[in-house]
Amino acid sequence: MSDVIAKDDLLRLVDQWLAEGKRVLGPVKAGDGVILYAPLAASSQLVLEGFVHAANSIKEAVFPRSETIYTYKFNGHEIELSDVDPDSTQCIVIGARPCDAASLPVLDHLFNWDYKDKFYNARRAATTVVTVACSEYDDNCFCTSVGLGPAAEQGSDAMLLKAPDGWYEVRAVTDKGTALFNGKTTPAPEIKVPISDGPAKKFDTVDIETFLKNNYESDAWRDITMRCLGCGACAYNCPTCHCFDIVDEGDAAGGRRVKNWDSCQFGQFTVHASGHNPRAVQAQRQRQRIQHKFRIYPEKFGAILCTGCGTCTRNCPVSLGVLNTLEAIAAVARGSIEVK
Amino acid sequence: MIDQLRQTCRKLLEEGAVKVVIGYGQDKPSMMPHPVFITKPEECDRLVWNDLCFANLAAYITRKEIKALGKPAVIVKGCDERALVVLEQESQFTRDGIYVIGVACTSLPASGVGNPRAAKCASCAVRTPRYADVTIGEAAVGSSAVGSSSCSTADAEFAQLDEFMKKTPAERFAYWKAELSRCVKCYACREVCPMCYCNRCIVDKNRPTAIDTSATIKGNLAWHIARAFHQAGRCVGCDECTRACPAGINLRLLNQSLAKSVERAFAYKAGMDKETPPVIGSYSLEDKENFIQ
Ligand code: SF4
Ligand code: SF4
Ligand code: SF4
Ligand code: SF4
Repeated sequence: MSDVIAKDDLLRLVDQWLAEGKRVLGPVKAGDGVILYAPLAASSQLVLEGFVHAANSIKEAVFPRSETIYTYKFNGHEIELSDVDPDSTQCIVIGARPCDAASLPVLDHLFNWDYKDKFYNARRAATTVVTVACSEYDDNCFCTSVGLGPAAEQGSDAMLLKAPDGWYEVRAVTDKGTALFNGKTTPAPEIKVPISDGPAKKFDTVDIETFLKNNYESDAWRDITMRCLGCGACAYNCPTCHCFDIVDEGDAAGGRRVKNWDSCQFGQFTVHASGHNPRAVQAQRQRQRIQHKFRIYPEKFGAILCTGCGTCTRNCPVSLGVLNTLEAIAAVARGSIEVK
Repeated sequence: MIDQLRQTCRKLLEEGAVKVVIGYGQDKPSMMPHPVFITKPEECDRLVWNDLCFANLAAYITRKEIKALGKPAVIVKGCDERALVVLEQESQFTRDGIYVIGVACTSLPASGVGNPRAAKCASCAVRTPRYADVTIGEAAVGSSAVGSSSCSTADAEFAQLDEFMKKTPAERFAYWKAELSRCVKCYACREVCPMCYCNRCIVDKNRPTAIDTSATIKGNLAWHIARAFHQAGRCVGCDECTRACPAGINLRLLNQSLAKSVERAFAYKAGMDKETPPVIGSYSLEDKENFIQ
């Protein structure tokens, strides 16, 4: 038994959500044609198909690039602090890819570990994620290598599958998803959208984890990552990267304390107050990113910190990113590349 | 041509003339060509050359990890070489400390949407490097799509900018606000830029903070204004920043505006001529003062 919705009705539903004051995030065409997840002003901006993956991720729904956590005012010699309420505006993410949605349960571990981040949790509770199962993939996709796939349901509240003639099959995954489409779909017993196999497996995560355990000091890091520029194009657009910095911004009268994205690829990320930098060269920073995703996080939380979306590799100005680094590591592990 | 390139590099490494060749490789066909660092003669077969070799490799010669490898040979296109000219004028290397392998742009990239190189190539003024120790290949000449091989007309180069400047200041500001609202401050534009070699960028100064680190509209405007100031008269228009930006921000337009202002006020184009003193690093009594009002 399938439930379907016509594309036009889906778009009308998006406009209805907007009219109800909900925040709606989805893929849009921005600037020179790059596809980005961004807040929608109208359903006409929404681009659901015709591309593999947006150049960024949906993480801004739960973890914005910059978020005020409290404000302060100077009052003579006194400092007045004011709490800022977490943002719990109802938010619907529409048109996310399964590899984006799958990052949310992974991020939940971190933001509810030693400290429960009320800002993240409020947004997370207020967010409903509607994914579109992938019918296309490219050479940078590797969801199947990290245990996901074109219709993986992790993190989705509902999933749309493209059916012929302008229809979408709607599969509710959670109660939130059921509620969202309640009364909006039509039963269509004859429609059953087949699911693509997705990209072939590109490496084995167990091999990678073993290599990472045994080769912390390997020269392979230097050789593989020599071209890495140390930018944030990978981490900032990654659905699972979650590092942040806490800074004060203000003037003589007062200001705000903000939580801003940060990246382990920046040289400044680990500079101590003394000036010493334990990660003095780029190879050590790239090693950190890979170790964190494929060894440290799995050891700590039992989940790989990567959904195989390929965004980091597509965005990398020097064609590195996680996929090309892992493939090079896998080649070293197999002995087909010699370390200098 | 690729054989000649590989042979040249192999010989340099064999003879010990250089310790590393900074060139282009392509580990698998689905990848864009990317920077490679060849230290052994037998690895020179990894080198590739095709019209997707966008990266401006001049950006690597000032990086600490690369300097540590020893004397480099660096492969440059004509446009990339302009960056070397500026870097040398700014004393970032000594000419005998590097070996420059020029490659002439033998085939012109297919223009059109989706080819980030097309915009700069269409008005390129330097298809053949001029100061290289050796230059490989011969520049393709005249093609209707891309103009003549040897000199650009300023009109073509600044066409997009001229069109943009017809808008009112309010429209232009609205445009930049929308463009820059997408900036997440990943600094890919800075890291790929050969001119952004400061050990500590002003946006990283945090004791005290000089520029808001937040990627808010205020923080983003501050970052892009700081970047523009520091690039005026120095940016060589290699378009690497525009290519690198994951948010598709039109940095080219901003750079062109700087370049045109400098050209108009000082008849100077960064990296075109080694003998012309850099506009930022020289003083002349003839300098215009009409900006003081
Ligand atoms: S891997 Fe690529 S995107 Fe990531 S820091 Fe290095 S150069 Fe930037
Ligand atoms: S590391 Fe790369 S492939 Fe993995 S989730 Fe992040 S952006 Fe996607
Ligand atoms: S600012 Fe952009 S175009 Fe100018 S030199 Fe730097 S990377 Fe090239
Ligand atoms: S590359 Fe783009 S998004 Fe990143 S800092 Fe530069 S302008 Fe901003």
